[in-house]
Amino acid sequence: MEVTAGIGGQEAMLFTAEMFDMYQSYASFKKWSFEILEYYPSELGGLRHAAASISGQHEVYKHLKYEGGVHRVQRVPKTEKQGRIHTSTMTVAILPQPSEIDLTINPKDLRIETKRASGAGGQHVNTTDSAVRIVHIPTGVVSECQQERSQIKNKEKALKVLRARLYSKKLEEEMNKRQSVRKMQVGTKGRSEKIRTYNFPQDRITDHRVNKTVHDIKGFLLGEDLLDEMIQSIREYTDHEMLKELLENIPAQ
Amino acid sequence: MRSEQIFWPVSADQKDRIWQLCKKRLQRMPIQYVIEEWDFRELTLKMKPPVFIPRPETEELVNLVLEEFSQSSYPGKNPTSIFLEVGCGSGALSISLLHSLPQSHAVAIDKSVDAIKLSLENAERLNVHTRAEILQLDILTDAEELLLLLTQKYGLLDFIISNPPYVFQEDFIHLAAEILNYEDHGALNGGYDGMQVIKAILCLAPHVLKDCGKIFLEVDPCHPDMIQEWLQVQPSLGLDYIATIQDFCGKPRFCVLQKSMQM
Repeated sequence: MEVTAGIGGQEAMLFTAEMFDMYQSYASFKKWSFEILEYYPSELGGLRHAAASISGQHEVYKHLKYEGGVHRVQRVPKTEKQGRIHTSTMTVAILPQPSEIDLTINPKDLRIETKRASGAGGQHVNTTDSAVRIVHIPTGVVSECQQERSQIKNKEKALKVLRARLYSKKLEEEMNKRQSVRKMQVGTKGRSEKIRTYNFPQDRITDHRVNKTVHDIKGFLLGEDLLDEMIQSIREYTDHEMLKELLENIPAQ
Repeated sequence: MRSEQIFWPVSADQKDRIWQLCKKRLQRMPIQYVIEEWDFRELTLKMKPPVFIPRPETEELVNLVLEEFSQSSYPGKNPTSIFLEVGCGSGALSISLLHSLPQSHAVAIDKSVDAIKLSLENAERLNVHTRAEILQLDILTDAEELLLLLTQKYGLLDFIISNPPYVFQEDFIHLAAEILNYEDHGALNGGYDGMQVIKAILCLAPHVLKDCGKIFLEVDPCHPDMIQEWLQVQPSLGLDYIATIQDFCGKPRFCVLQKSMQM
């Protein structure tokens, strides 16, 4: 899962932090593991961008894929002095984790960049910048990690993110070829589609794909039953739509 | 620390402590000494001046050894293996290997009493101390004593591993203040050609290794060629140069040698 602050400056970043926390709680609620791979905070305690690897039983991807898209928040920001309501956005991207078999990356295709000195290195240098950046040369896909103090751990995490991005790119290319599948992708087809609005003054959350509104934002952001129920509704709707499409496409006997 | 505590304002006492730490850093003390710990691979180790701080390159050295052990053709592979580390410093290499190879045992030596103390402490914290013997010995002066101990108590070794002092004497002036003012020069200075300790290890190796036992070294990028040249005039050592492996910056960093099969 990757979260990124969208339009709205500090307020968007604060909202992104709240959303990331919500998903972390949701993972705990579903008894999944939640491993933070990247975390770029902002000055006021907000979040610019973060990535996490979520694994567990009970169909992690099938639950979370409907969270992919643009989430919109409407409220009076903490930074706002005149009590005006602002609209800000954040984006969630859900990438399925490839199994080792699905995607083989040739080490020769990778350029691994570190901030280590260009001199002799080794005992000559004691700097603590363990950031690692990996570029997949054929596709230009990049991943970075500076979470850990250990360079090797950063490399492992960056590789994990890179694999997920390469897989997702490959998957998207396959998906785009098929018109019918494109229709079925509720919310995962593009970053510009606003899938859900969180309206604080009205204490409501509306998912625009299934046109479902629930109340109690505070409860929703806990990442427990309310979020789970919302996801269930979307799944059911999508399954229903997919079935309809299948039936519509069966040639007349 | 409970997660809620992240939101509590910092107390005056905590602020003072943080400022004390900052002052140390402002005096160019390496951050690892300021916070008294650092990560090495999957472990967090205690750090204490002047004991040498593990470098990121050295993490790859451990991987190299572990890869060797996963190959079934490695003759030294057996349920309980024993290795020697020369110049253990904080204990990073030995402890990491002991941690990843639960059946292995280590003899780790260092000439610095501070290094020995720290290695012992780290080995205990990471619960591998029962499989490690950590001794204050200088390979340049105590080689015979070491040889005696190894052959009497442990028999022949499966491999030797070392990140020996390998900085060239003349390169010392180019080192950063963090290194020169705080880290043990004895852990860095390899003599005029940076090979003083390397040569000592290679001279000892044939006497303490099993046949086909390997030597894994981290060195200066100049050394792989220099070592191969030097070996050519040391035929009596019975050592074969197997491979040079690059570090993640593409520099020749690791040398693998092997004791030839004795006929």
